[in-house]
Amino acid sequence: MSVLKCRDLRKSYGDLQVLRGIDFEIEKGETKVIIGPSGSGKSTFLRLMGLLEPPTGGKIFFEGRDVYTSGLDLNIIRAKIGFVFQEPSLFRHLTALDNVKIGLKCVLKVNNDEATERAMEALKAVRMEEWANYYPAQLSGGQQQRVGIARALAMDPDVILFDEPTASLDIELTWEVIDVMRDLAKRGITMLVVTHEIAFAKEVADEISFMDGGKILESGPPDQLLRSPKTPRARRFLTRLLGGI
Amino acid sequence: MFLLDYSYLIVQGFEMTLVMTFLGLGGGLVLGVLSALGDVYGGRALRALIGAYVEFFRGSPLIVQLLLFYFSVPTVTGVRWDAFTAGTVTLMLNSGAYQKGYFKGAIEAVFKDQLLAAKSLGMTFWQTLRHVVLPQAFRVVIPSWTNEYVSLGLSTSALIVIGLRELTTVSKSIAAQTFKPLQVYLLTGLIYLIWISASLKALDHVYSRVRIPGLEVSAEAS
Amino acid sequence: MISAQDLIFLLQGVPTTLSISLISFAMGFIVGMPIAMIRQLSRSFELSTVLEGYDKVMRGVPVLVIMLFLHFGLAGLVPLFRDPFISAVVALGLRSGAFQSQIFRSAMNSVGRDQMMAAISLGMTRAQAFRHIIVPQAFIVALPGLGSEIALLIKDSSYSFVLGVLDLAKYSDILRAATRSFIYPYLLAALIYVAMTFPVANYLDRWGSKLKTKYGLR
Repeated sequence: MSVLKCRDLRKSYGDLQVLRGIDFEIEKGETKVIIGPSGSGKSTFLRLMGLLEPPTGGKIFFEGRDVYTSGLDLNIIRAKIGFVFQEPSLFRHLTALDNVKIGLKCVLKVNNDEATERAMEALKAVRMEEWANYYPAQLSGGQQQRVGIARALAMDPDVILFDEPTASLDIELTWEVIDVMRDLAKRGITMLVVTHEIAFAKEVADEISFMDGGKILESGPPDQLLRSPKTPRARRFLTRLLGGI
Repeated sequence: MFLLDYSYLIVQGFEMTLVMTFLGLGGGLVLGVLSALGDVYGGRALRALIGAYVEFFRGSPLIVQLLLFYFSVPTVTGVRWDAFTAGTVTLMLNSGAYQKGYFKGAIEAVFKDQLLAAKSLGMTFWQTLRHVVLPQAFRVVIPSWTNEYVSLGLSTSALIVIGLRELTTVSKSIAAQTFKPLQVYLLTGLIYLIWISASLKALDHVYSRVRIPGLEVSAEAS
Repeated sequence: MISAQDLIFLLQGVPTTLSISLISFAMGFIVGMPIAMIRQLSRSFELSTVLEGYDKVMRGVPVLVIMLFLHFGLAGLVPLFRDPFISAVVALGLRSGAFQSQIFRSAMNSVGRDQMMAAISLGMTRAQAFRHIIVPQAFIVALPGLGSEIALLIKDSSYSFVLGVLDLAKYSDILRAATRSFIYPYLLAALIYVAMTFPVANYLDRWGSKLKTKYGLR
């Protein structure tokens, strides 16, 4: 069964239609990547799947259950869906360790000792254990983003959504984040990633989808989609992105 | 209605409140702009002097300032002066100290990169001040200036300590004469409230007409 | 001329001035913080209209008139207000509540939307996000504003002089009458006020900026 699935998902802001009917699903252990030009609705799509905004049409299913009509507690599901933001959104008044612990303590009601243990484990997974007692302002953008990943990871979620996690980083900081994400993908963490990092997508994605104009125009395994996209728009986008590789 | 008999006094008191507010604001405006300019462009001695002036008037209560000026000036100078003059001068000095902060923030917001641009056009210091810095500073300062209008307007009630017959002083004597303090002070509060709310609406309107998009700044902190 | 005796005489007014200011500040906090939270979280139209009205009155009426209203107007109905000290504290405290709610509200608004989003994405409720994420950061942002508010209360506590409270302003007036010296009592009192307000405002301003830099807050 799919972990997260949507059917005919739509979103408008006033007259502006941002998502025009998306069908998508991701299964346990899969890594799926979404690419597309800016303004194509990728980030909105991800926020809807993370239950951070309600859709204006269509349905979202978490482990087969319609999240908005089954009377489920949205916060419980949100805790099972990790989210990594484009801008490092660490809580600025908390150390790296406390950033990772706070969801465990507040939402999952884990006791302090166990929360510390699980948080340190998550920080180790992103190679940030030595920075546990630093505040966000003392960390580089790449380090902050890794702590953000640890914060999502520590909740032991069923899937983690990444919204262009390297888009706001300098090029040399991009790699440390991408490396961590590659590790997670190889460990079998279920991941849905919006990114422009084609090399990463090629290496770890089970499937890449191309989005434009609020729709998924085509999906396929990396080799196929990157080398021989079927739609002219995907072809144009990839030619520009890869600079004619 | 018993208060009708006193409406004449109340109107007179309110007029006095308005007069004192506008005199204080006007004088304070001149003092504020001058001391802001002195603080931004002046030498060390001038800046220290302005700093002491601002700290004194912003750091102590208006009530004590009023008493100080009302009583001390005739003693020191031998000049006779009444509550009206003492009150006006003190309000001007007090408001000038606050307005200096607002204008300084505004002038600094303008002058960083634009001074250089003005220089490159061959403008003199005074031309730059008159055509570039001040026109922008005045617009930028309006929101904080609104605060000063409200706070000075309400502070005029402190004039009661030197016996000037503004709205609060008048109300206190009416309350004592009629033995109806509850009604009198309710009415007084209402008059202040309507005046301030109407002024805020009007100033808001002015601000929306003269504001330049993208030109906003917060006043200098404390 | 001024003497040490005069100074000591004046200083007797300081404890009263400070207790009026600090008690009214505490009262303002107890009133202002919940108002800020309610206005931020509640969607009730009636409640926000009432709170807005409260805010308008406290900003549009001189605090002295509120003091006079409580002490002379309401004392007949509420015997508590026969005490001028209590009337002064309550008037200043009520107004401070309006001012502090504004300080906290704008501080909360300055904490970025991204912080709320991140908290929600972890599964926190809005109330949890406020308590653990928004409010602690807002406190830091609010520190300079709270410093100015305490300084304002120290100065405005002098309005209690009109009600006959024996505060620093009143002591300076007594000293003027006793010594028939027209300058030093008030000048000295003014300087004592400056010596109280200046460090408070400055310290909280610096502490606030230091913490803001440490946590990288705007």
